[in-house]
Amino acid sequence: MTDRSTVTHDAIDELLIAYFRPVPAGADLGRRVLDRLRDGWDPGRFAGRVAIEATRRGISLVRPGGGARPPVSRAAKRLIGRAREELFDYLQGRRAFFSVPVDFSGTRPFQRQVLELTHRIPFGETRSYSWIARAIGRPDARRAVGTALGRNPVPILVPCHRVLRSDGGLGGYAFGLDMKSRLLGLEHSTPVLEGCSTTGIVCRVGCSAGRRMRDDHRVVFASVADARSVGYRPCKVCRPAA
Amino acid sequence: MITERALMRRVAEGDAQAFTEMVNRYSARLLTFAWRLLGNRADAEDAVQRALMRCYTSAKSYRPDWAVSTWLYRITTNICVDELRRRTSRSALRRAAENQAGEGRDVLLPAADGGSAGSGRHLDLRRALARVPREARVLLALRYVDGLSYRELARVRGISLNTVKSQLARGKSILRAEMTGRRRTAAGAARAVTTQGAER
Repeated sequence: MTDRSTVTHDAIDELLIAYFRPVPAGADLGRRVLDRLRDGWDPGRFAGRVAIEATRRGISLVRPGGGARPPVSRAAKRLIGRAREELFDYLQGRRAFFSVPVDFSGTRPFQRQVLELTHRIPFGETRSYSWIARAIGRPDARRAVGTALGRNPVPILVPCHRVLRSDGGLGGYAFGLDMKSRLLGLEHSTPVLEGCSTTGIVCRVGCSAGRRMRDDHRVVFASVADARSVGYRPCKVCRPAA
Repeated sequence: MITERALMRRVAEGDAQAFTEMVNRYSARLLTFAWRLLGNRADAEDAVQRALMRCYTSAKSYRPDWAVSTWLYRITTNICVDELRRRTSRSALRRAAENQAGEGRDVLLPAADGGSAGSGRHLDLRRALARVPREARVLLALRYVDGLSYRELARVRGISLNTVKSQLARGKSILRAEMTGRRRTAAGAARAVTTQGAER
């Protein structure tokens, strides 16, 4: 009889108001936020100091500090500059993908297979050592996978930090476990899809076209479909829908 | 009481006390917004903390043509929406695992209000809200947590006023349809039980 009329416009409003009534937050929230901010790590300094080498085909080495051999060609020099810039953006939380190519030619076939697969693990996601071992058809080679990743010549660009132990443990990392969890935390807090409220275009975070976006024009979306549903269109440069 | 823009100026100068004051003013509303969107307190607290960290570190780039609350909601919403994105990519894996195990279809989180008399309706509403498309759900949350105006909603999500109106209307009509349908089936089931009891 009146089932329909019981959920009137006002009833829904009242329900929503009750549902969204503010709950008190912990009194020490401000202090906890300030504590979290007290982290002396400087991503800019790290990106500036990292040693990078390249061939003309792509980046062949990334090492924290220490000297790098001078670039072998103009093309290599350009690639190194690009890699440093992308690393800097990535570490600042302004990039969710790397476009600079990587050159795996200095690695052995097994390691190359592991690295190429790791290279395709999406930003912000993780896989286990055994997942990689299974995916390359060598399910018993978990330890060998760990060793191959441990000797990853291009860490960060090839995201071996996204590979964890099956039990949730961090495993190992050439730059130290602190750095591994820092990178995972960084990816956890970097958005992937960003729209510009003035142009109505949605980009992958780090797109060259999105660089000109002002901070207060940035709107994050959960999917390209969501962005479309409120009138945004995908960027033609970075093609986030692809 | 000090105005929010003056407070923001002091935060930009690195005044920790002003920051704490600002946190105290907005944290309950931001937390509720994040909680209702993300479904659990732990994720909501993390999101709000990250939003407040962002607010502290980028206070210098705050432009006074924004109301502080609108600016804070923009930052918090961006973080929550990204968390929702992460979940959809994770849940695809989890769904596959759950289907295999043949369970996990209707696992619901405990009611946030600790199971008071209204929690049944809250549960219904939560189920119904889950059917509302994400963008509309975000707008509903912003609208009902703090009563943001259409103009403010448009600014927070970077969309036009008309889109705000149509999204809200659509979200509510889905809610109404869901709640009515659910109530009906629930009432039907209850009636069936009573008749059974009478016959016996």
